[in-house]
Amino acid sequence: MAADLEELKGMIEAALPGSSAEVIDETGTGDHLRAEVSAPQFEGKSRIDQHRLVKAAVRERFDDGTIHALTIRILG
Amino acid sequence: MAEQETTLTDQVRELIDQNPVLLFMKGTPSAPRCGFSMRTVQVLDSMGVEYGAVDVLPVLQPLRAVTSEISDWETFPQLYVNGELLGGCDIVEEMFETGELAEVLGVEQPAGDAPAAEVPVSDEPYKSPPMTIEGS
Repeated sequence: MAADLEELKGMIEAALPGSSAEVIDETGTGDHLRAEVSAPQFEGKSRIDQHRLVKAAVRERFDDGTIHALTIRILG
Repeated sequence: MAEQETTLTDQVRELIDQNPVLLFMKGTPSAPRCGFSMRTVQVLDSMGVEYGAVDVLPVLQPLRAVTSEISDWETFPQLYVNGELLGGCDIVEEMFETGELAEVLGVEQPAGDAPAAEVPVSDEPYKSPPMTIEGS
């Protein structure tokens, strides 16, 4: 099952109010994705905590196997 | 099974405590079994820092549960520095590029660009012994 990039974008932006996310399919296979996210919630947080916030937002799609790998890029 | 998981959690905590720089990876530094693990090893090797490496593959699912519990992180590689999860491959590479990694590790930023991709992924079947966690 290929990931729905718009759904993932929506999940991130809903979990982090005020954020802006772009989700890109890196390999064209729908399961290796890159998320580029900027969010006010990132301020003052370590990188790992910033990534945790993004991963938590889309955890459901990891758990059901839709996403295999998600590269996260935090836009400052 | 609950008892075994408790033991594994304790062992992982101990490893993290005892190794100032510890990498949980798929495969070994000389024979990584995953591109992300390989890239993380390349960065660490280029820093000239001593690190412990634990092959997660023999105990992948139980370890996922353990790191999920103690670090809220389930994917590998995972680099721990001074007892804290620094991140996976993308964070390590990003921090390498900005010089933050050298700072965190207390070493000089190596000269030159990003580390060369010179560690080949072994074509041989997985042969490493199961992860051994030594008691204290």
